Amino acid sequence: MTVLRILLAQTRANFVWYFLRDGEMIFWSLAIPVFFLFVFSFALGGGSTKQTSTFLIPGLIGAQVLSSGFWGVGAMLATFREKKLLRRIYLTPIPSWTFFASLVLYRMSLLALQALILAIVGGIVFHVHVVGDPVSIGVILLLGAATFVSLGTVIGAVVRSTESANNIASVLTVPLAFLSDAYIPIDRFPAAIGSVLRLLPSTQFIDAFRGIAMYGDSLARYGAWIALLCVWTVVGTVVSARFFRWV
Amino acid sequence: MNEPAIAVTNLVKRFGDVTAVDGISFDVAPGTIFGLLGRNGAGKTTTLETCIGLTAPTSGSVRVLGLDPTRRGDFAQLKRRIGVQLQATSLPEKAKAAEILDLYAAYYGVRPRTAELAERVGLEDKLDRFVGKMSGGEQQRLALAIALLHDPDVVFLDEPTAGMDAFGRRILWAEVERLKAAGKTLVLTTHYIEEAERLCDEICIVQAGRIVARDTAPALVAAHGGDAFIDFAARGFALDPSLDVLGRWTQKGERWQVFVHGEPGRALGAIVAHANALDVAIDDLDLHRPGLEDAFIAITGEALDDEAASAKAAA
Ligand SMILES: Nc1ncnc2c1ncn2[C@@H]1O[C@H](COP(=O)(O)OP(=O)(O)OP(=O)(O)O)[C@@H](O)[C@H]1O
Ligand SMILES: [Mg+2]
Repeated sequence: MTVLRILLAQTRANFVWYFLRDGEMIFWSLAIPVFFLFVFSFALGGGSTKQTSTFLIPGLIGAQVLSSGFWGVGAMLATFREKKLLRRIYLTPIPSWTFFASLVLYRMSLLALQALILAIVGGIVFHVHVVGDPVSIGVILLLGAATFVSLGTVIGAVVRSTESANNIASVLTVPLAFLSDAYIPIDRFPAAIGSVLRLLPSTQFIDAFRGIAMYGDSLARYGAWIALLCVWTVVGTVVSARFFRWV
Repeated sequence: MNEPAIAVTNLVKRFGDVTAVDGISFDVAPGTIFGLLGRNGAGKTTTLETCIGLTAPTSGSVRVLGLDPTRRGDFAQLKRRIGVQLQATSLPEKAKAAEILDLYAAYYGVRPRTAELAERVGLEDKLDRFVGKMSGGEQQRLALAIALLHDPDVVFLDEPTAGMDAFGRRILWAEVERLKAAGKTLVLTTHYIEEAERLCDEICIVQAGRIVARDTAPALVAAHGGDAFIDFAARGFALDPSLDVLGRWTQKGERWQVFVHGEPGRALGAIVAHANALDVAIDDLDLHRPGLEDAFIAITGEALDDEAASAKAAA
């Protein structure tokens, strides 16, 4: 019970310290996805803007899931370690998972906010409707977040310096988003490349998320991919737990 | 006799081919203030961080309150009973001091005493300030408040007054004295002679990863500080070798430096009487009593900091 209270207090503190009081962070995490939505819908859309944005909105949210995992948790842990902030926390009696969980919860609430804003703007401006079953949407989003948080944590566990953690995070987040059906439909790539790209967990997650949220697909339809995402989550968690260092 | 609050036995810590701690042993009786004094890189922080479980020893053992910080279960118990102010650490820049104190109270499961603690460390009007906007000394005092917030039995302070002004230093010293009165055990590292002399019941002088001396400050001074000397100017003065309260002396023009065996008051009297007998005037007289600084230099063969080194060279 007290652990739960600590978890909530720390999550709230993270939200205030790293988001609400950081203008740059607010800009990058809220304004930029909306900006992308407009630019891509008008500039890239071959067909109707409604069709394009229906495709883009889940892609943009999916890209934010990747960045939450790689940047928001992975690189952030490395930064906290290098700034010698982790060692101070480590000396307090809170169970070590609480601090980690609070970081994840903070990024999940930010993600929910980002998704909500994109869905609302999409609905008002482009008449996009989210037709999926809310529970299924929640499940696939949570699973995606779990996958990329656990893979991101591997960065935080293995990499020592903030700089290389940031480099790895950006190398993973930005190109992966372009290659994973987030902004560019995968069938615009040559078929051979497309089938390789479909092996990426990021493609599998974004496709499943899009199908479930925007086209009303069932979770069961993506059973195999969901199973693979679970495997990635377990692998990421095991590797992180094995290599993570507080000091 | 009570079990020691801290027992360090043959502690060795290597980082690659750097030996930071090279076979250190000491124990600290409950309720005492124990100081690790040494130059930069002597191994003070490494020793302290081994005691609190941040660094694993290469060999040797550490027990704090009978607990072994390298063992998971012991470490979990230990964390609740020790308070720590680290030399190298930071707090989130966009957090306010009050938020930090509240959150740390939650970590330790104690009632938040934010206002009271802030007052004790002189931060009562800084509670709304962002950590990133606080001065170095203010951040240090916030770190001290965190170290004390759960009323720990053993407190570790790693260079607590580094970079602090006189106000911050007085606050810390008062806090240390208050903790001692409450029967707490303290370990502090410093390279301020004055601080060690004033606060510590026992001082370990650390040099290149080893303990080269360990005693109370007065005992270290008595054993290693050397003789007191009297420094004065007197034109036409000459010393009579039969004055047995005086030791060797040096003379440069009219400046004299006379070493003293035993009680300096008697030597002073002898010099003044002798000057009167010769009918010469004494100017600019200084009595220099040996201090911990002198003992430190005698023991380690080096001064603690460059300022002291040049002061010594000038003397
Ligand atoms: N993580 C590390 N990796 C490599 N060398 C280290 C590490 N930590 C400490 N050292 C080395 O070990 C030696 C002792 O360092 P330590 O920090 O314990 O000294 P200190 O007495 O606390 O010095 P200071 O007064 O500067 O704080 C130094 O030579 C330092 O360079
Ligand atoms: Mg140090």
